[in-house]
This record gives sequence, structure tokens and C-alpha cells, in this order.
Amino acid sequence: MAETNGVHAAVDIPADKAEILARPLEERDDIVVCENVHKWFGDFCAVRDVSMRVKRGEVVVIFGPSGSGKSTFIRMINRLEEHQQGRIVIDGIEMTNDVRNLDAIRREVGMVFQQFNLFPHITVLGNITLAPQRVRHLPRSEAEALAMRLLERVGIPEQAQKYPAELSGGQQQRVAIARALAMQPQIMLFDEPTSALDPEMIKEVLDAMRELAATGMTMLCVTHEMGFAREVADRMAFFDEGALVELGPPDQIFNNPQEDRTKLFLDQIL
Amino acid sequence: MTARAAPAPLPPATTVGLLGWLRQNLFSSRGNGAVTVVLAVVLVWFVFNLGSWVFVEADWTVIISRAPLYIVGLYPYEGYWRLCICLLLISVLLGMAWRAWPNAARRFAFGFGAVMLFVGVFPHEMAPDHRALLLLNLPAIGLGYVLTPRPADVSPGRLEALAGSALSPALERAAIFSTPRRKVIAALVALVLTMILILGIAGVPGLDPVNPQDLGGLMINLLLAFFGIVCSLPIGIGLALGRRSSLPILKVACVIFIEVIRGVPLITLLFMSRHILPLTFPEDLNIDRVYLAGITITIFSSAYMAENVRGGMAAVHPGQAEAARALGLRDWQNTLLITLPQGLRNIIPAIVGQFISLFKDTSLVYFIGMLDLVEMGRVSVQGNQEFIDNGREVYLFIALVFWVFCFSMSFISRRIEGVLGVGRR
Ligand SMILES: Nc1ncnc2c1ncn2[C@@H]1O[C@H](COP(=O)(O)OP(=O)(O)OP(=O)(O)O)[C@@H](O)[C@H]1O
Ligand SMILES: [Mg+2]
Repeated sequence: MAETNGVHAAVDIPADKAEILARPLEERDDIVVCENVHKWFGDFCAVRDVSMRVKRGEVVVIFGPSGSGKSTFIRMINRLEEHQQGRIVIDGIEMTNDVRNLDAIRREVGMVFQQFNLFPHITVLGNITLAPQRVRHLPRSEAEALAMRLLERVGIPEQAQKYPAELSGGQQQRVAIARALAMQPQIMLFDEPTSALDPEMIKEVLDAMRELAATGMTMLCVTHEMGFAREVADRMAFFDEGALVELGPPDQIFNNPQEDRTKLFLDQIL
Repeated sequence: MTARAAPAPLPPATTVGLLGWLRQNLFSSRGNGAVTVVLAVVLVWFVFNLGSWVFVEADWTVIISRAPLYIVGLYPYEGYWRLCICLLLISVLLGMAWRAWPNAARRFAFGFGAVMLFVGVFPHEMAPDHRALLLLNLPAIGLGYVLTPRPADVSPGRLEALAGSALSPALERAAIFSTPRRKVIAALVALVLTMILILGIAGVPGLDPVNPQDLGGLMINLLLAFFGIVCSLPIGIGLALGRRSSLPILKVACVIFIEVIRGVPLITLLFMSRHILPLTFPEDLNIDRVYLAGITITIFSSAYMAENVRGGMAAVHPGQAEAARALGLRDWQNTLLITLPQGLRNIIPAIVGQFISLFKDTSLVYFIGMLDLVEMGRVSVQGNQEFIDNGREVYLFIALVFWVFCFSMSFISRRIEGVLGVGRR
């Protein structure tokens, strides 16, 4: 994190975030706590016994073979999937069926999808202002001002009045990032945000994510962009067959993996 | 980079021009050529015979002398001017549509104006004031056009192009139907005014109430189909939402309603509305059959509309709901703000299709004794010695009228799909 802060010195970091970022990771509090989490689809165990703690402001990259439960795992963190065993606590809020807890957690956690999932029938501006107006009850003018600031931050303020279909894939994904940020979440989830993009557009999305990491956002990213992981991740989590096989800093994962399966997988993809 | 690009090669000669087209499409093989020749002979023979009947043997006086009956039924002559005003309202709305969605509505506005021009000029037996009112439709279309602002990203409309762009600033200033809300209000006001004009109000001079039974001809087909669709859209949306709901009682009630109505032919529903339902009414309650028909057609149409809406909503990508949930929107907000609008957009073609088939189905109201266009045609032939041999002319005319309406509606629907980008994700 320290290096990325240096690279992106231009980015404004809010005072409270800066104070947290100034502390080393070990001294920060846990914002995501998962203990022995399980998830089944019918008889099939998609996520088995995963325990993970994520510090405030930490960037965790999750990787692993297809079908290893990466998506299922991060979707449990905002309850797009329900965990069936174990415990998930987000910023002190226990994940239960209680609607109030759920609303609070959804406000804490933003998500960016592989397929963008922008709302095609409303403009870019409308996509970003919808939830702030309807969920946070911001007045329209305030929501629009916020949306324009976010669009500037991801570099496409001139696209505000267009419809999603009129944008390139990379631009759409940046709008999706802005849309999630408009709810001012504490945690951002990314599920393979660059996998549906042409190579020349991947960089612009990764840049937006780098910038976000530099502002002290807690991020869980499922991605196979190993360059990004090496540069930005504080820790990397390797999933295989539903289990969290290895969790450690990029240096350990790339240079000295503790598990054979991690090494085997990295040898295949690098 | 250095050498200039060679000019794009031309396509092979055989695929261009009339001859090339003929060769490629009609005579590409020996068998294909034979089929072409046989079909051409049959077609020429058919067209020649029909044409010689239409232009030589047929006697069209029945159409001309009975035209008012076919168009407005037994509507009192003193009230014709009120119907003319309704047409003017429609013209204003068409002008608005032309300006707002030039690609979808321009030709339709032109076509409507052309028909009004034709009817206003051609037939001999028409009062001059009706003639004048019909001709006023052309300026009325222009008025609707002027009062509506041009969408920002569209090149100048036909009118500006005709008058040079000097007109544009004046048009922008005149535009009062500037927001979607104002457009909807204008349409609703026109709708209510139309009903008042057609049916009249007791006690208002000039607006003497008309006996609903005197409504007939093409007018009643159009009114029933139009109100059937307009009223069945909200009901159908309600039923579709009910069917998707997680409340078991609501869900079952909606499913039963939809499936019962869809399982019964319209003609039996009409029969029941006329002969069985009134048994349950209090003695002195006497609902006119026109209203019974309207309600029945609305109910019938709602069940199909509900299924259309449900299908449209089911076709919305599941990622949309996930994104909405991830943003913290409640389920009902997701339904109303995300799924329903996209679902409705998906089914615009289906709604128009339903309107077309409902329009044709309204000819079944003869069964409860109403004189719609088809029944009026039958009566005008069989009830009159003078025209007893003119059935062919009458039914051909009726078929043409139905076809023109249905065809222009499906034409507009395809244009609207293009404008709204249906199928675009
Ligand atoms: N809704 C579902 N119903 C049944 N099985 C599912 C469902 N969602 C996921 N699975 C199964 O759970 C397993 C894990 O899926 P998941 O999508 O989490 O994998 P992943 O690691 O994200 O893979 P990928 O890299 O392909 O996205 C897979 O075997 C998948 O088939
Ligand atoms: Mg996945």
C-alpha cells in the first residue's frame, strides 16, 4: 500500500482514511470476518469451511481455477448468496436474515460485476444517481453533483447523458465502479471486472481500481490480472474446489508458495 | 502506410442491377426458374381478373352512399362536428408524436393527414362545415408539431427543413409540451375530451348526450380496441406483478383469473356479459351493452396483457436484479424501477400485436347486437333490396379498411422498436 500511495500522490484521501492508512495493517481493525463459512448448491459444496479476516483498507486478490467458488464466496459478502453454515461479520454487523442488518450491510458493500450489469434503460447519470436518491434519500441535485465527481474520478464525465449501450466496455465498467462508489461503501467487491473486456480496455479499468486502492478502500477482487495483484494486493487468496487453500502476501504467493496446488496453478497461468 | 490504398474492388457484375438481381433471386437454377414462371403466370392471371372486376364490373355506389354508416354507425348527424373535433385532437397528438419521435411517427402523421385531405376534398355529399373541419386536420398536425420541442440530438425536422432553419428558434420558443409529464397530460386530456365529445353531457347545449347504442361502424371497433388496450395495460401489469408475488393467495388468485380468461373464447365472454351477468345485477341496474362490451373486452385483454408483461419481465437479465440488490434497492424498488420498465420495453411489439388482434376481435360484438363495421356491412347488404348483390364490394371494402389500420400499426410498432432500441442490452 505504501508504494501505491506514493505513485498516486495526486489522489485526495479523506482525513479519517488517511489516519487508518498511516497505521500498519496489523494494527487496523477487521472489517470483514468470515469464520468456517459453507455454501451448498443442492448436494454440491461450492464453498467449504472458509475463514478469512480482512483489515480495513486492505486489498485482497482472490484467484483460482474456474468453478473453485471464488464468485460464490464474494457474493456471500453482500448476500447475493446466502451462507448456510459459519459466520460472516461486516464492519461489526452480523450477517443474518434480519432485514435491517441486510440493508446496513448492502450500504457498506459495493459490487462490480463481470458483465457490468448497468441499467440499460436509464442514462449513465441516472444509473449512478438512482440508488443514492432511492436508498440514501439524497436530493437529486446533490446526487447528480456526486455522480459527476465520481465520473470525473473514473475519467468519463463527458458520457453522463449517454445510455450504457452507447459506451465501450471499458467505459461501461468504469460507470459501474462509479455507480457502486456513489453509495459511499466501506468495502468494494470486484468479480472478474476485466474478464469481459478487450485487452486495450483492461488497463483503464485496472487504473481506476488502482486509484481506488490508493484511497484506502477495502477491496476484495476476484481477478487473474497477476500484474495488478503483484502491484496492488496486500494479500492474495488462492481458492480450489471451494476451499481457501492459501492466503498470504503476493511475495509469498509468487515466490514461495506454501501449498503445492498454488504452485501448480500459478505455473499453469504464468 | 505509405502506398495509397487500392480502390475497393467492385462486386461481380452478375449480382448488381436489375438483371443481376433477377438472375440471383428468381432464376438461380432451372427448378427455381420454372417456379418463378409458374407463379408469375398465376399472379398475373389473378391480378388481371380481380382488377377487371374491381374497375369494370363492381358497383361501388353502396360504399359511397352508406359511408357514414360504415364509419360512425347510427351516430346522429347533428353530432358529426363533435367527431370532427375528436379527429382534430388526434391530429394534434400525431403532430406531437411526429416531432418527438420523427422516425416512428412522421409517416403515420403524413398518412393520417393525407386521408383527411382526401376525405375532406373528394366525396360529393358532405356538408361544407364538415369538409372544412376535416381539412383543418392538416394545420392541427402542424400545431402539435410546433408545440413540441425537438429532441436535442436529432437533426432538424421536416418542417424546419422546409422553412429553412430560420424557423427553428421560433419553434423552440413555442414548444410547450416540453417534458414527458406534459406530453402524458396532453394525451390524457385529449382522451377525456374525446370521450366527452363522443358521448356528450346532459344539459350542456351543443353536447346533447348520444344514445350509446347509436355508436357503431368503424368508430366502435376502434374505440373498443383502444380503450380495451389502454385499460388492460395497468390491469395486466397488476396481474403480472401479482403472479410474480410471493404472497400465495394473491398469486393463486391472479393465476386463476388469467388462466380462466385465457381459456375461454371472447365470444362466450361477450355472451355471458350480456345474458348471464345481468342476472346477478339488481333489477333496476341497466348497463348499456356498449359498456358491457368494453368491460368484457378489457378483462379479456388484461389476461393476455398480464402474460405478455410477465414474459417481458422474465426476459430481463438476472444480473439486473443482482445489481439492484447489491446497491441496496428493495425488491419492490427493483421491480418498479428496473425490471418492469425493461420488461415493458421488451413487449412493445407484443402490445401492438395484441392491439391488432383485439381490433379484429371487436367485430365479434355483433353477437350482442352491436352494429360494428362488419355487422353494418352485412346489414347494409342484406337489409336492402337495392344492394342485395353488392356483398362482394362491401366485404372487400371492409377487409381493406381493417388491413390499412392493422398494417399501419405494425409499421409504427417496428419503427418504435427501432427508436427505443428494443433488444439492445
Ligand atoms: N446458482 C447455482 N446453482 C448451482 N450451482 C452453482 C450455482 N452457482 C455456482 N454453482 C456452482 O458452484 C461452483 C462454484 O461456482 P463459482 O461461480 O463460485 O466459481 P468461480 O470460482 O467463480 O468460477 P469462474 O472462474 O468460472 O467464475 C461451480 O461448480 C458452479 O457450477
Ligand atoms: Mg466467477
